[in-house]
This record gives sequence, structure tokens and C-alpha cells, in this order.
Amino acid sequence: MQKYRFVVDVQYKSNVRDPRGEMIKRVLNDEYDIPVTSLRLGKSIHLEIEAENEEDAMKLVNKACEKLLVNTVTETYEVRRI
Amino acid sequence: MTASFPKAQVVVYPGSNCDRDALWALRYVGFDAEFVDIRSHIGSDVNLLVLPGGFSYGDYLRVGAVAAREPISSEIRDFMSRGGLIIGICNGFQILIEMGILPGALLQNSTGKFICKIVDLEVVDNETPFTRYFERGERIHLPIAHGFGRYVKTNGLVNSQDNVVFRYAQDVNGSDELIAGISNENKNVLGLMPHPERAIEKLIGSDDGLRVFLSAFNYIKTSSENMLEKTKVGVA
Repeated sequence: MQKYRFVVDVQYKSNVRDPRGEMIKRVLNDEYDIPVTSLRLGKSIHLEIEAENEEDAMKLVNKACEKLLVNTVTETYEVRRI
Repeated sequence: MTASFPKAQVVVYPGSNCDRDALWALRYVGFDAEFVDIRSHIGSDVNLLVLPGGFSYGDYLRVGAVAAREPISSEIRDFMSRGGLIIGICNGFQILIEMGILPGALLQNSTGKFICKIVDLEVVDNETPFTRYFERGERIHLPIAHGFGRYVKTNGLVNSQDNVVFRYAQDVNGSDELIAGISNENKNVLGLMPHPERAIEKLIGSDDGLRVFLSAFNYIKTSSENMLEKTKVGVA
């Protein structure tokens, strides 16, 4: 068994409003004059997983995402090996 | 009928904080009510389940997400399939949605703020077991207290008109179509963000919530009497 490390990037789907992101964008625009035109606040989940090989590890990460980490109704996700 | 009828249980999750109010409201209208711990089991003679408000598991990850994956969830699903009545209030509504029992999603209020106040609601559907004591279109007052109550419709909710039970009279949290409460297709499961269990006495602002529990109480009583009548006819 080997250990594999991944980062899961979770974002709201583009049609879902993100009030936290909007607020942060407003502060950057208004308080610091930084011309941010779009800002979406998501989650990044770093995890380490034990598996026989990278392919199996990836399958398990995707299972974790579908079962619990991501609400696929409103969110999308990307998995990267780190 | 025994004194323990109709029977209700309030599911207590780690972080529930409206469980006592719910128990009090249930007993007030005559239910034989008790708490049920998530490590325990739903009683076989239970007629109504309440998933109370609060912050189950600190609402870590997503609101209601962890609670929805507790082993007791499969018992809740079985209870629903048997036609048992379920009310999910606030966090309980969020849990029902995370369980996939009710459609849609509950996200952060569009204002980004936690909102705690009494709001005007419209009763859209008075043909559920929980709303028979209301008139269709009636305006009622119930407290809300949530940060994540913005109801978002999803594709699964095709006939949303049929499922909407309560709507906000004005926009309070950015919910699609002002939706405040919905039921499943069979109407034995109600999920709502407002707190009927906190509106039992006029002294504290409103007693409109009382009728939610009274409706359920009388629905259970009358349906069981009808069942008894049928049984008698069958015997005769």
C-alpha cells in the first residue's frame, strides 16, 4: 500500500450565487481599488489516501467526493495529485 | 386507543438546539413525544418524526451534510416509505435535502447575513397533513433564524408548484420563488426554514405554528379512525 496526496477543489456551479465571493470582491473593488471583475469562493480539501496504485487512489477520492465532500446538485469539483 | 397515541419522536443530533422546543410543542398539542438519540432507533409505533433545528455537527462541510449520513438516516427513509409523517425544521430541512428526501438545495442567504426575525408567510398548500388547519393563501407569522436558508430549485424539482407548501410574503433570503417550505410528492414529508415550534404562544409573538402540529395530530387521529372503521366493516 502506498500513500497518495490529492487536493480537491470544490466550487459552486456558475449559475449558483455566491454571496461570500460577492462580498470579498466588493471589498477588493471598493476598499483597495483592485479591479477584480469576478470572484468565487470555494473550498479546497487536501487529503492523503492509501491505495495499491494511483488509479485506485483516484477512484477512492472520486468516491469520497460523490458520497460526501461535494454536493453535486450545486457544486463542481476537480481533483489534482500533489 | 392507548394514551401513547399518537406518538412522536424528535431526532436529537449532536448540535441540535431546537429539540426541546419541538418536544414541548408536540406535547402541547397532545402527542406522546420523546427524544430519540441518533445512536438509538425509531420506535415501531411512532407516527410523526421531527428533525429539529440547530447546527448538527457544527454544519461542517455543508449544512446538514454529516447528519444526513448517520446510520439513523436509513431508518428515517424506511419510516418515510411506510407513510410516516416527517417534519424537518430549519437544520432538519437542510438534513432532509442532504439526504435526498426533498429536492433542491439550501445555500447561504443572499444578503450573507444570519437572519433572525418573525416573517410573513403565505400558505400555498393546505392539503398536506401538516397544513390542514390553514386556509389556502392565508398569511401567517413564523420566526426564522438561519444563515443558510436560500432555497435553490434544481432540475429534480420539475413540478415545483405542487410541492411548495409555504412561501415568504416578501423576499427575505433570496430563495427561488420565495420558497420557505416544501413537501415531497406524497406530502408525508414537510421541510421548512421557519420555526413553527417557536410560535406556539401569542405571548412570544405568534401562535401560528401551533396549527402545524395540530394538523398533524388530527391527521394521524382521523386516518387511524378511518382504518379502524374499515377493519370493523371487514369483520362484519
